[in-house]
Amino acid sequence: MGQCLRYQMHWEDLEEYQALTFLTRNEILCIHDTFLKLCPVGKCYKEATLTMEQISSLPALRVNPFRDRICKVFSHNDVFSFEDVLGMASVFSEQACPSLKIEYAFRIYDFNENGFIDEEDLQKIVLRLLDNDDVSEDLMMDLIHHVLRESDLDNDNMLSFSEFEHAMAKSPDFMTSFRIHFWGC
Amino acid sequence: MSESSVGELPARRPSRQLATHQENLSVDSSCFSSPPVNFLQELPSYRSATRRRTTVLARDKQSSILLKPSDSYSSQREGEITENLNTQSIRKYALNISEKRRLRDIQETQMQYLSEWDQWKRYSSKSWKRFLEKAHEMTDHLELWRKDIRSIEGKFGTGIRSYFSFLRFLVLLNSVIFLIIFTLVLLPVLLTKYKVTNSTFVLIPFNDIDMECTVYPVSSSGLIYFYSYAIDLLSGTGFLEGTSLFYGHYTIDGVKFQNFTYDLPLAYLISTIAYLALSLLWIVKRSVEGFKINLIRSEEHFQSYCNKIFAGWDFCITSHSTASLRHSSLRYELRADLEEERIRQKIAERTSEETIRIYSLRLVLNGLVLAVLSVCFYAIYVATTFSQEHMKKEIDKMVFGENLVISYLPSIVITLANFITPIIFSKIIRYEDYSPGFEVRLTILRCVFMRLATICVLVFTLGSKITSCGDDACELCGYNQKLYPCWETQVGQEMYKLMVFDFIIIMAVTLFVDFPRKLLVTYCSSSKLIQCWGQQEFAIPDNVLGIVYGQTICWIGAFFSPLLPAVATLKFIIIFYVKKLSLLYTCRPSPRQFRASNSNFFFLLVLLIGLCLAVIPLTISMSRIPSSKACGPFTNFNTTWDVIPKMVSTFPSSLQSLVRAITSEAFAVPFFMIICLIMFYFIALAGAHKRVVDQLREQLSLEGRDKRYLIQKLTEAQRDMRSQPL
Repeated sequence: MGQCLRYQMHWEDLEEYQALTFLTRNEILCIHDTFLKLCPVGKCYKEATLTMEQISSLPALRVNPFRDRICKVFSHNDVFSFEDVLGMASVFSEQACPSLKIEYAFRIYDFNENGFIDEEDLQKIVLRLLDNDDVSEDLMMDLIHHVLRESDLDNDNMLSFSEFEHAMAKSPDFMTSFRIHFWGC
Repeated sequence: MSESSVGELPARRPSRQLATHQENLSVDSSCFSSPPVNFLQELPSYRSATRRRTTVLARDKQSSILLKPSDSYSSQREGEITENLNTQSIRKYALNISEKRRLRDIQETQMQYLSEWDQWKRYSSKSWKRFLEKAHEMTDHLELWRKDIRSIEGKFGTGIRSYFSFLRFLVLLNSVIFLIIFTLVLLPVLLTKYKVTNSTFVLIPFNDIDMECTVYPVSSSGLIYFYSYAIDLLSGTGFLEGTSLFYGHYTIDGVKFQNFTYDLPLAYLISTIAYLALSLLWIVKRSVEGFKINLIRSEEHFQSYCNKIFAGWDFCITSHSTASLRHSSLRYELRADLEEERIRQKIAERTSEETIRIYSLRLVLNGLVLAVLSVCFYAIYVATTFSQEHMKKEIDKMVFGENLVISYLPSIVITLANFITPIIFSKIIRYEDYSPGFEVRLTILRCVFMRLATICVLVFTLGSKITSCGDDACELCGYNQKLYPCWETQVGQEMYKLMVFDFIIIMAVTLFVDFPRKLLVTYCSSSKLIQCWGQQEFAIPDNVLGIVYGQTICWIGAFFSPLLPAVATLKFIIIFYVKKLSLLYTCRPSPRQFRASNSNFFFLLVLLIGLCLAVIPLTISMSRIPSSKACGPFTNFNTTWDVIPKMVSTFPSSLQSLVRAITSEAFAVPFFMIICLIMFYFIALAGAHKRVVDQLREQLSLEGRDKRYLIQKLTEAQRDMRSQPL
């Protein structure tokens, strides 16, 4: 855990990041500070990368049951550049629009990455949510059956993106719970 | 039953794969109910849906680029960029930052081909949006208690956070109400009193009313006991009675400035109407969000499984203990929901004789609930009557503290009733055989009604005492002027006492029950009884009812005591910090967690009920009970409301006839009928839409079945083709 070169962010970069993401000035600067603390010695923040383990151990993510999926979805080639971290924070910020959150939520919940949330994915989601392995078969089947009954409109036992979008648009808690405050300042 | 898990499924994640993947026709023979996923990924509908959400960047940079924000549904020809794109929508793309940069550069080069006018329009809209954002950012800094609420959210989840943001909303509401009252009523009076402006008071002109009605004895006892100041501060009597805290201070007809005369009675009435209207509008605006979502969902009940599974985890939780608590509460909730489903099925299968038995039992138990309520109301009536009769005794004839107990007697009885009745209700409802979720909601509703109706009973008791003068019907002044020469001030004093007592009780419970309980549990861990009792849980419904009760008192009392909203603001600020400390140091989060969405709607609904219950006594006292002739700005009017007709009569005659026409029956009845017709039209429209939605859903599932059938036939045909000898 070394210190990067104390590279102050240029004003133009800050403006550009503000224009391209949903983050505020303070949030970008705080993420910049956190990134600098974690990245290896001697590199400027624009070239440094963080591993998925380092991101998973951030306070904002370390108790999240979906942190591996989050890291997988937002990283490139299994590492995080500064802009990847900004992109992740932007999606999870309070000001982000619902369509963006729904898009990334779909990718996070699609464990096998086949473009659909099928029963296998739902099983994994339920196991992660309940955090124990002795969930009875009946309970699991019941839950999956209820979820599919509510949101699977074409009865193919899978949720396509539009079905997921439709279900999340009706869900009152989605916007408030799909939020992470990355900045700890 | 699951679809084929082919060795490598073509990962169609377009935003990061640059290449469009080749069709992989590896086919699995064991799928009969759902087709292979790769087949589905080739379908044109899937492809265009994916393209709609993200960009597909062609490998060849010179070829055309298809670009769309993730929520734009306009049709796109390949290679074109719509005119509607602007910087704002770049953020909505599901891309990483370098790709967004490229997109923005392309947009800007494309902008050069637009006309001058379009360029200027685009530029000005961008800078306007940027300005709005900066203003928004700056106002965010001013948000009260932002850090505190964020830290509570991280430690305890969004359910408890919604309680604290509700408290913050009430602080803001009360400060705005006080601002209205201050500018309309207090400011002219203060300006004149302290000679800031060159204005004078206009005293109320002498009218031929009976001299007896205008007698206002100022209570003064010879000896001032040392504790009388404390008693006065707590009950609003003595030195507080004549101050601007109460209605009686404003015995002025107007304030004469250089150019005009400021009509104080009219301003007083308008400030009351203004703060009630403002509260209503603000609450409705805040609850519209939750209500819209309520209206969208069709037949599922509020806590749907999709909501719980996909939005069940609060992503903002940061501490391990809260996370494990969240896991256990999710376990509990999901199991409870499935249990409730089973109970509902069981209820639906009830035989008719069972149903009759249950309903008659429910009737009896509801009668029992009503009996409990009427006993409480009668107790409050008796306590108020007793207190009003004995409060007028002279101070030196009483034992120390007796005066205080008697004047606080109604508050004490109300608080006792509010402690006991929830316990009784929760015992009764167990026999009524409802599903668990409905039980909780009905108990809460009964407690809400109980709490808020007690204030109304108190005010009505006071009203009946004010307008009864022994046997005759108060012909002299319209009210009992011997006991209540300035009845508005006295009602204001009762409201002030209620508010102070409520505050004292909340502080006392926190200091003398919660903290010792926590100390006991921490240090006497050997005793099994104490461990069973356990730490305090932060019970959201009770706490919310407490602050809604305080707010209802404030709404009723603000007319009789203009400074009461300021007192309420201070009280809520102190309660915020006290509750926050209590939460952090003494409470453990309960396994049954309140959901944020549910909470917001529930809080605002309860607040709205409180507002409606507060308006009733206010309107009755403003329009029925004659205003007191010895004090206050309305001595010249029969009732408070009479200011309005007097003001209308000063309008020009055309306006007067217009106002008269609008308030007549000839206008009101047709207006009401038209509103009913419009409502019926919208209800019919909603019903028709629902039918169409159901039909479309059915059609969608039939199409899905057809699709699966065709894909199955296709895979069989391919298999046959392959297995045929060449």
